[in-house]
Amino acid sequence: MRPILLQGHERSLTQIKFNAEGDLLFSCSKDYVINVWYTHNGERLGTYEGHNGSVWTVDVDSDSKYLISGSADNTMKLWSVSTGKCLYTWELPTAVKRVAFNEDGDQVACITEQRMGFQSAIRVFKLDKEDGTKQSEEPLHMFNPIGSKATVCAFTLTPNIIITGHESGKVALFNVKTGEEVDSNERAHGDVVTDMQLSKDWSYCITSSKDKSARIHDTKKLMVVKTFTTETPLNSAALAPNRPYVLLGGGQEAMSVTTTSLRQGKFETRFWHKVFEEEVGRVKGHFGPINTIAVHPAGTCYASGGEDGFVRVHHFDDSYFKARPYGEMEIID
Amino acid sequence: MASAIRAQKTSWADDVDDHDLVDQNKIEDYVDENGIRTTIEYAINEDGKKVKIVRKTRKVLQKSVVEHAVAERQKWAKFGKERGNKPGPDRATTTVGEEVMLKLSAGNKLSEPEPSPEENVKARLAKAGAGKVVCRVCKGEHFTAKCPYKDKLAGLESSVLDEDGGAASDAAPAAPGPAATSTTGKYVPPSMRAGASRAGESMRGGMSREDLPTLRVTNISEDTQESDLRELFGMFGKVARVYVGRDRETGAGKGFAFVSFEDRANAERALEKVNGKGYDNLILSVQWSQPRPGQ
Repeated sequence: MRPILLQGHERSLTQIKFNAEGDLLFSCSKDYVINVWYTHNGERLGTYEGHNGSVWTVDVDSDSKYLISGSADNTMKLWSVSTGKCLYTWELPTAVKRVAFNEDGDQVACITEQRMGFQSAIRVFKLDKEDGTKQSEEPLHMFNPIGSKATVCAFTLTPNIIITGHESGKVALFNVKTGEEVDSNERAHGDVVTDMQLSKDWSYCITSSKDKSARIHDTKKLMVVKTFTTETPLNSAALAPNRPYVLLGGGQEAMSVTTTSLRQGKFETRFWHKVFEEEVGRVKGHFGPINTIAVHPAGTCYASGGEDGFVRVHHFDDSYFKARPYGEMEIID
Repeated sequence: MASAIRAQKTSWADDVDDHDLVDQNKIEDYVDENGIRTTIEYAINEDGKKVKIVRKTRKVLQKSVVEHAVAERQKWAKFGKERGNKPGPDRATTTVGEEVMLKLSAGNKLSEPEPSPEENVKARLAKAGAGKVVCRVCKGEHFTAKCPYKDKLAGLESSVLDEDGGAASDAAPAAPGPAATSTTGKYVPPSMRAGASRAGESMRGGMSREDLPTLRVTNISEDTQESDLRELFGMFGKVARVYVGRDRETGAGKGFAFVSFEDRANAERALEKVNGKGYDNLILSVQWSQPRPGQ
């Protein structure tokens, strides 16, 4: 397969995200800009400009109408996907590290950094979906998770329960109304949780961590279902819909990249078998660690964003869909 | 290219050739009945030779059924930095990368050995025809600087020990090893021949000093002591005598020494291993000691 290289950023990528149909790809980076691309040909549809700091995170609602972004300039912005206009800006005390829409797209969870005397906080905002410019400044719920700060979060199927990944490697469930920790798995990972992506039906999720492993967790009971252990710190993990693979991306720390060779850097996207927990393939390409991976919701292509500032969109060949590395058997998702 | 040629021409008459040149650059372009478009170009390559470039292209319209919302989004006007740009990917931001392979296969990829930078250098040297990398200390396939034994000549120690171990195990039973060596046609010293045992060695105990197998070691450093050489050559077997040539006045070494072994085989091994090896920053030269003509 021939990847499409998207060169819309001048600095390292922080997160990329497909919309619900997978025809649009959103990418954000440390260079303050958010780009949106057509997936099928890599054409840039537009940019969302207005942030004054590294954009750490983006998320798009299920209708592809609104885009939410969080940045190091202590703001969270709501954008109109089709026009690139900023509809609303929330001012927060510290940098926004992660944002996530709920299933209906009427609530947004946001994690703010622990800094300048402020504790790390998780806020949930209610969105007015009719008029994007009229939003309430105050969050619906807000709480400070005790102990280690949260790094990633996602809504779950249970109302008012969100799943979080923490700096200590903990994965926990929080009730956003009360701020109470409903359940937790302190030993989910040995180091900071770097990414969390939900499965299609939201019943399980995959987390990646600097402890060189990725794990699949049940989102209801936080049971670790599968573990994928690699030899490099992981920055991102994604689930491939319709095929039994998980995609892992990482590489050693950015600061030590220049002192190691490309081969040792291990900047490949690794494909692991979801059930057998074995590596089945690798895709080379990036010149630096992979910071973020996203898979098309239909499983027909995937994109990876690296520390090198490139986004590479790969449309899978027929061989990918035909390959049965473990013999003829169908694995039902 | 054309402008460069034109600059060299001085006469107006040569202009005619120029027209020819322009003709050569003319592009033929036609579409045949199968819808295949053929473009023929003439160009002059880097060697100054005229080449004909034929390109055949066929346009295929690919149709795909997409959701209504997706089709609607295809019609959106561009915004932000892309405002006003025409539809279609822009080369500045979108390029097609090199072909990458994704081969899905079972089996753990973690077990694949990864070549180290040193191995890469070796591979490149081999490719460049420089031959294999051989360590000067232990003859292993690594750089001398990387030799694990470079400090102590310990490379000798291990190889010697290996051989000793082999010899000991061979000697104990009916000794198939020595029997095999005798068939190779190579000279085998009596002490190494089948039937020879350690017991035979002791018979040479009564030999005079001159009859002992002696090695002449040259190019040793000034401050090499007898004990140093005893330690070095002791690895190969029992050393009967070590003599270091010294200056009578100063007592500093003259750069040579004689080492006598009790067993000729050991001496031979020592000669083989130590000759040409580095010791104290100098490369040792070891030969059989020649008796003085007068004696």
